[in-house]
Amino acid sequence: MRLHLGQLQSLLGYGDRVDRFAVATRSAEATGDAVARINASAFGFRAHRSTDVAVETSKTFAVVSRFHRAIGTITIVASAIFLLCIMLLKVDERRRDVAALRLIGCSERTIVGSVVLEAAAISVFGSLFGVVVGGTASFLVNRHYQAVYRTPLRFSIVTGDIVVFAVALALVLGIVAGWLAARRLVRTPPLALFGR
Amino acid sequence: MLATLAIASLARHRTRTVLAILGVAVSAAMLLDMVMLSSGMRESFRGLLLSQGFQLRLSPRGTLPFDTEATIRGADSVLAVVRARPTVVAASPVLGGQLHFPTGGATITASALGVEPAVQGDYELVAGRQPAAADEIVANDATLRAIGHSLGDTVRAAAGYDPQLRTFSGERTLRIVGRVRFIYLALDQRAVALPISTLRAMGGPSSADRMSLAMVKLRPGADVERERAALHAFLPQVTVTSTAQALEQVDQRLSYFRQLAVILGSVSLIVGFLLVTTLVTVSVNERIGEIAVMRAIGVHRWRIVGQILLESSALMLIAAPLGLGLGLLTARWLDGILASFPGLPERIDFFLFQPRAAWTALGLLVVSGILAGIYPSWRSASLPIAGTLRPAAVG
Repeated sequence: MRLHLGQLQSLLGYGDRVDRFAVATRSAEATGDAVARINASAFGFRAHRSTDVAVETSKTFAVVSRFHRAIGTITIVASAIFLLCIMLLKVDERRRDVAALRLIGCSERTIVGSVVLEAAAISVFGSLFGVVVGGTASFLVNRHYQAVYRTPLRFSIVTGDIVVFAVALALVLGIVAGWLAARRLVRTPPLALFGR
Repeated sequence: MLATLAIASLARHRTRTVLAILGVAVSAAMLLDMVMLSSGMRESFRGLLLSQGFQLRLSPRGTLPFDTEATIRGADSVLAVVRARPTVVAASPVLGGQLHFPTGGATITASALGVEPAVQGDYELVAGRQPAAADEIVANDATLRAIGHSLGDTVRAAAGYDPQLRTFSGERTLRIVGRVRFIYLALDQRAVALPISTLRAMGGPSSADRMSLAMVKLRPGADVERERAALHAFLPQVTVTSTAQALEQVDQRLSYFRQLAVILGSVSLIVGFLLVTTLVTVSVNERIGEIAVMRAIGVHRWRIVGQILLESSALMLIAAPLGLGLGLLTARWLDGILASFPGLPERIDFFLFQPRAAWTALGLLVVSGILAGIYPSWRSASLPIAGTLRPAAVG
């Protein structure tokens, strides 16, 4: 609730005291000058720039943000392994096709290139689907927490930078995984791939 | 026999198996971390609250301890009522405030706790002794570093400012007699403790006969909730909070982390489950002819199901110890990040290892491994033998 300052001071028996003043200045230079002059003559209080106060009070959010980044790193490691595994399986499933291609004269480079291309396509389509899933999850998270905390603040934001980073990362991981799996396959003799 | 076949099947595709184990290990690590996060914070806070044996806390009506600057009036009469209760072993009053230490050109400010040293439960003595006289004080390392003094030194301290006269108010000379560690404060938070009577005197008339909080220790076996209700009825000007209620408040305030733990833990489990299901399905598809031969020579359908289930469970079980070790390492890393929350007590752990957490994670992994193998095993065991053998033989 809001009260007139004098009435709250009187109600609380607080006397002629306040917790803080907000001071508006004309410019950034004037702010620096005002802070220096107030602090030079102040006794029992200090002047702070609003930006410094914002940094100090947002420390909690900074910690949460670092925590989220750490969780994100672990998730990326897990997805990289998952992707490598899936690509290995996908390529392994086509060992007979690869053997046939090798036997009719296709070069190792062509086969690796086609597998890498396929891996890149899967990564791009997969990550685009992931963006849709992420966007939906973000929408649901915002709706839930905005209702829980009764605030218009957004708790999760999917920005263009995040989408570009996610797609690029998936593409790189997909290409590397596809390349590793394809290299492994083309180094195996074609007849061995046929199981002979 | 079943185990030998399952192991042989996993060993046939080493790279694939190693990658699957790594993938499941990372999922298991994340799962353990999330199980630790969901319960660790609560247990850690519970341990902190009960560490000094106080089960009840009295604070100004409608507030939680040190949630506001409000204080309890008539502190001595409130304490007399509490101490008269037969179930009460000790009652420790605490008055919160600030002390200002003029050092050179600057002034260092520290949180001050007025306590009764004989029954206090707010700090642990690291060196020196408890304050015995009115002008004695104990301080933590952060304060001693900031004011540049050590044990045995005397310091000037004030309880407030008089901006109009430009002088300190409630100024005293105090002697540092102990180096302490505050239990409920952050490690880098500057704080001192001194006799409550001294802090009241320094604060002037507005602090007389006041306290911010009283902690109550009950006899072993006493009914905490019953005593809480009784004190609440006797003392309408205070809110009596039991450890269970304080934990409920913590649960509400930190529900975000619990929800995050549930969501991320579920995602980890699903990722591990999908990985194993995919691997086992592909592995079974590759061996479809082999499985049909086994059925044709009389191996029972359930033995095949059992072998494939064993394979999926083995993947999970081999990955589990690796994942649990990895989980403990990542938990330390994540805990280090969250420990930098401003004002968080030093002893609070977000990721507290409890054997129950490890068993829960392991149990979930095993169940997930078994579930992951059910579909591929059932599918392979249900295929018609002749129809499967013919294409396999023709190639």
